[in-house]
Amino acid sequence: MSRITLTDVSRSFGSVKVLHDINLDIRDGELIVFVGPSGCGKSTLLRLIAGLDRPTSGKIAINGEDVTRVAAADRGLAMVFQSYALYPHMSVRQNLAFGLENARMPKPEIEQRIAEAARMLNIEPYLDRRPGQLSGGQRQRVAIGRAIVRNPTAFLLDEPLSNLDAELRISTRAELAALHERLSATMIYVTHDQIEAMTLADRIVVLRDGRIEQVGTPLDLYNKPANLFVAGFIGAPRMNFLPSDKLPGTAGSTVGIRPQHLRAADGKAKLKAKVTLVEALGYETVVHGLLDDLPLLAVLPGQKSFEAGDTIALTYDAENLHAFDEQGQRVD
Amino acid sequence: MILAPVGWLARVLDPPLRALQRVGGRNGMAIFFVAPNMLIFGIFVLIPLVINFAYSMTGGGALFLGDRIFVGGEQYGRLFDCGNYLEPNSCREDLFWTAVWNTVFFVVLQVALMVGVALITALILNRDLKARSFWRAVFFFPVLLSPVVVGLIWRWILQRQGLLNYMIYELGFDPINWLVERNWAFAAAISVSVWAHMGFYALILLAGLQAIPKDLYEAAEMDGTRPARVFWRITLPLLAPNLLVVLVLTLIRAVQIFDEVYVLTGGGPGTSTLFITQYIYEVGFASLLRNPGLASAASILMGAVLVVLTLFQLGIARRGERRSAK
Ligand SMILES: Nc1ncnc2c1ncn2[C@@H]1O[C@H](COP(=O)(O)OP(=O)(O)O)[C@@H](O)[C@H]1O
Ligand SMILES: [Mg+2]
Repeated sequence: MSRITLTDVSRSFGSVKVLHDINLDIRDGELIVFVGPSGCGKSTLLRLIAGLDRPTSGKIAINGEDVTRVAAADRGLAMVFQSYALYPHMSVRQNLAFGLENARMPKPEIEQRIAEAARMLNIEPYLDRRPGQLSGGQRQRVAIGRAIVRNPTAFLLDEPLSNLDAELRISTRAELAALHERLSATMIYVTHDQIEAMTLADRIVVLRDGRIEQVGTPLDLYNKPANLFVAGFIGAPRMNFLPSDKLPGTAGSTVGIRPQHLRAADGKAKLKAKVTLVEALGYETVVHGLLDDLPLLAVLPGQKSFEAGDTIALTYDAENLHAFDEQGQRVD
Repeated sequence: MILAPVGWLARVLDPPLRALQRVGGRNGMAIFFVAPNMLIFGIFVLIPLVINFAYSMTGGGALFLGDRIFVGGEQYGRLFDCGNYLEPNSCREDLFWTAVWNTVFFVVLQVALMVGVALITALILNRDLKARSFWRAVFFFPVLLSPVVVGLIWRWILQRQGLLNYMIYELGFDPINWLVERNWAFAAAISVSVWAHMGFYALILLAGLQAIPKDLYEAAEMDGTRPARVFWRITLPLLAPNLLVVLVLTLIRAVQIFDEVYVLTGGGPGTSTLFITQYIYEVGFASLLRNPGLASAASILMGAVLVVLTLFQLGIARRGERRSAK
């Protein structure tokens, strides 16, 4: 059981304000992802929740209880560090036991919890090795195991997959999702990778320069980005942005359309673009083009016989357009 | 700009060096570059070592090796001629054994104090304290002083009418004869040598502390680890390689203790701060009954002890390299 509420949380380092009045309600049992470009304050926010750092102003509550000044160890949370932060001179078993020994838990119970976590994470064969003798993926599991054995009310994970290679990242991502299902604990997951956020999250918090840009389910953010930043950040490749006078029948000052929402027109074309580059991936074709000197990207299903220099006709459905006003806010 | 003369020099030196390499080959060049250093090492270390060993096999007071009489192992026999090694008065060379046992006591106490104080200093300097580099400089400063200066400074402070006694007197207490009372003099010898070298070892330990990743401490904080347990279970084990280096270095230096203590106490009162190096120096050069052969024999023995300690240190260093290469 863990509901975490942030009220007007700010953090400054000297004269530099890194987090601006963050208000957020993290629900019990949800997997919430903080996503944003590097340096936007994700880790700082996570460390404030963990209790490794104190906010300059504002309040943090867990299950309604103010924990702003409560020590990290007494918040009932567990953290998985980006570097894993395993104790290098201890065996895996000792790493897992360390926090439990601090809490003066009886030995048999420690043994039992370690055995359980080891089974869940498939690290039983490595229990007596040291972290230095493990691969990156195995270390990662141990780091997660160290969090699990403490049976925390919430897990905090700071870019837990960033040190793994691409293949392992995808499989571990799936395992983390399964683990969340199984433990049904609250998880706060930090990443700069929007695909990771989209695939894992119940809800996503998009951060930029220490401010929350939008909070919502992955599809909320994809279908109704609240502003230009979120529209550009969520979804790959990036959404096309054009002045609204280039697309007939649109509102606002800027209009966005995702590359996947452009279609090759057979009949009536809404756009004509000059092709500059074609990337044929087999199952789809990525076309880089220019619309009156403005870059335009289209991802078309299947294989096309376009070449650089061609002029192609494109069309779209009006419902897939996103309109934004001069301030970059969404208009509907 | 600044490097222009270097480039010029390289161009000038290039043709003759290339010619040399054609003649001597690659390995010949290596020897050519190492030779000057080997020459210096040979003249000032290797040859004296051999000569020293030769001296230790001779007797009499003559200074030149050619004038001396070969006596074989007699000097070594004289050093080890002892009723009870623990009781210097029962030995033929009672001063040698006095110096040996003084040195053993000194080494044990001084090394323990040195490592302890250096560790505490490093732990404090590793905190987020204000003006950290200033304090680091303050503790390192004595390392830069010549041992003679160290000895003189502390003699001025500790002598009968010195600074310390002046302050004690002003506070209304009885002055203490720091350098005349046996135990105080011994304590002074230890404290002064710790003061003089501690900064260097604290710096080594500080570097080790700063190499411990900060997030290990954060993980320990999340784990609810009490500060004492953090120290014993995380800081100390991860600092162990540096501690071992410091331990062995201080050990080697402590066995060789001489200059600052010699200036401070002159080995006194009596023979209470007479250490092995001073014994060798006095028997070899200073005493009325000068005996270069005996001094050489004693220095060869001391050298053997230092070689063992140094091999130990090299072993540690190599193990550390292997570990960090992994
Ligand atoms: N201890 C600190 N002292 C000063 N500035 C910091 C400190 N920690 C983080 N910052 C600054 O705060 C900003 C956000 O950092 P961080 O939360 O680590 O970003 P993210 O995790 O999103 O990449 C960065 O500009 C960083 O330089
Ligand atoms: Mg970060």
